Amino acid sequence: MAANFWTSSHFKQLLDQEEVDVVNPLDKGKGITLEDFKLIKMHMANYIGKLATYVKVRQRVVATAVTYMRRVYTRKSMVEYDPRLVAPTCLYLASKAEESTVQARLLVFYIKKQIPDDKYKYEIKDILEMEMKILEAINYYLVVFHPYRSLSQLLQDAGLNDITMTQLTWGIVNDTYKMDLILVHPPHLIALACIYIASVLRDKDTTSWFEELRVDMNVVKNISMEILDFYENHHKPINEDRISAAANAALSKLALKP
Amino acid sequence: MAEVDLAKKVADRYLKREVLGEGTYGVVYKAIDTKTGQTVAIKKIRLGKQKEGVNFTALREIKLLKELKDPNIIELIDAFPHKGNLHLVFEFMETDLEAVIRDRNIFLSPADIKSYLQMTLKGLAYCHKKWVLHRDMKPNNLLIGPNGQLKLADFGLARIFGSPDRRFTHQVFARWYRAPELLFGTKQYGSGVDVWAAACIFAELLLRRPFLQGSSDIDQLGKIFAAFGTPTSSQWPDMVFLPDYVEYQYVPAPTLRSMFPMASDDALDLLSKMFTYDPKARISVQQALEHRYFSSAPLPTAPDKLPRPAPKRESKNSDFDPHEGPTVLSPPRKSRRVMPQPDGFDGGEIRQPAGENTSRNEPVPMSVDFSIFGAKPPNRPTINSADRTHLKRKLDLEFQHPEESMR
Ligand SMILES: Nc1ncnc2c1ncn2[C@@H]1O[C@H](COP(=O)(O)OP(=O)(O)OP(=O)(O)O)[C@@H](O)[C@H]1O
Ligand SMILES: [Mg+2]
Repeated sequence: MAANFWTSSHFKQLLDQEEVDVVNPLDKGKGITLEDFKLIKMHMANYIGKLATYVKVRQRVVATAVTYMRRVYTRKSMVEYDPRLVAPTCLYLASKAEESTVQARLLVFYIKKQIPDDKYKYEIKDILEMEMKILEAINYYLVVFHPYRSLSQLLQDAGLNDITMTQLTWGIVNDTYKMDLILVHPPHLIALACIYIASVLRDKDTTSWFEELRVDMNVVKNISMEILDFYENHHKPINEDRISAAANAALSKLALKP
Repeated sequence: MAEVDLAKKVADRYLKREVLGEGTYGVVYKAIDTKTGQTVAIKKIRLGKQKEGVNFTALREIKLLKELKDPNIIELIDAFPHKGNLHLVFEFMETDLEAVIRDRNIFLSPADIKSYLQMTLKGLAYCHKKWVLHRDMKPNNLLIGPNGQLKLADFGLARIFGSPDRRFTHQVFARWYRAPELLFGTKQYGSGVDVWAAACIFAELLLRRPFLQGSSDIDQLGKIFAAFGTPTSSQWPDMVFLPDYVEYQYVPAPTLRSMFPMASDDALDLLSKMFTYDPKARISVQQALEHRYFSSAPLPTAPDKLPRPAPKRESKNSDFDPHEGPTVLSPPRKSRRVMPQPDGFDGGEIRQPAGENTSRNEPVPMSVDFSIFGAKPPNRPTINSADRTHLKRKLDLEFQHPEESMR
């Protein structure tokens, strides 16, 4: 069964962190730093999540959309692929790929209604055009594996599947999409890292359970550290307005829309 | 930049030739890949209703075919946009199993039938291993390549199946190939539906005509019961709980032998196992491949020795007339394309990362009920800085030789 992931395109596409942390030369030329790059992607992940609450799609669709968006920027520049269009289009494409289609019309409607900033306004035809470009940018690979399913099974296996632990770990997993972890690590290891953090936080003794797993605990611990570093750097609870302001400042360097 | 000028790509790389046929969502052309010299089939996806973007069915086919690489699965070689349309490049296939079965000039020996069935099951086994249900198995979706290789095609209805409580639409498969649980409206089906369809194809190879030709869903069940007898609840305990279950008048089953007088005992034994009513008791594709039918004489014919219809068209003349394609062998559009309802989690997740307990957890256990969160993620957990320090300290604790605990 695990063969499913290990033979998937997702597994084959996993990158090293250093490969993910490359600012496209075109963007660099506009003064975009690695920090800006990460910030914009985080902001766009938030944006996708926000749009998703309007059009009411499952968390899985959000996760897939964010993954598409992050994959796009391992290959394409933000100058050429405006994140403010890429983000909603990824949500549109992911909703189709995850079999819970959202109409482009609806997305455009909510963007117009809910997002005050004019730079985020796009028409249906823009989304449809970008859809084709994104498909090409992600080389038509649409299947994405997420930590959620492993998470629930692992929690159950560890006997930690009560409401608090479930909510806590689920929330941490959601937060991991504000980082590039899904491009770098197998999803079940991300799930384990989230369980690890949550169990330590809640003083659940999971040491022996973890020891019985055939996984490299060093990797799990490293992922956990990365997640904690992220929380540290972005002031928990994350202030979305601040990220948004900072990301928009970074985006303005790109001088995309008139 | 690594950007390719896509507008020129079709002209530059692929030389378009005649139309091969038309499917539900676009025209299929024959073409030459000038880069490799290979003959290919290019499916031009019609842009659906404006404002709908890339066709949903096409997208599903792309999504799955990008993950499926097997000698018995059609290869998606390339995909590219051209003049606003998405084009899919497939390996070129000469004919399909329907054309073989219908061709009265072809004699299919028992070894030939065995070979075609084996290739069908091999392709299907690969899909099932990857947790993909084909859901549209029928002779016309089994394409046959230049060297006789049979490959599963048409993944527009296929889906990744996840946990066993997955709810799917039962409106899949052309009716004649639909399993009884689908006809009774089940929404929780598994790989058994593909096995039933493969059994219908097996029967069709033996009979040289579709085996169970129902004219409506009710009639289809009638045809099935006439062939195998009305199922009893001891034969199929879950039957009475299916949404559209209705009691049918009892009819006894004729012997399989009387319906397939020419088939070998091994063939009939496998056929009866594939045609088992209870999907839980139905043989799996993998088990079917291991059935003695495939190891007993006569051995399956080598693919390149299989009888095939005469080439549809002499394609030596290169002048291209899009209106004068070869006869399309498949029946006209069917009304069977339906979108599955959006449902809960989709499959496609790794389900056994821990490795060790595979059998314990098989089939996939139902996950925690996340419906408490509705469509939205729950509020983000709050980790304050005291927690963080505490956590970091704890995280630094060494684990005791995790490798040693591996069995
Ligand atoms: N790889 C291929 N090589 C050669 N011909 C092909 C290939 N794929 C499709 N065709 C031809 O194009 C026709 C249309 O194919 P397509 O898969 O789009 O639809 P279909 O199978 O006819 O119908 P449906 O979508 O309802 O199953 C086929 O009937 C076949 O004749
Ligand atoms: Mg077909």
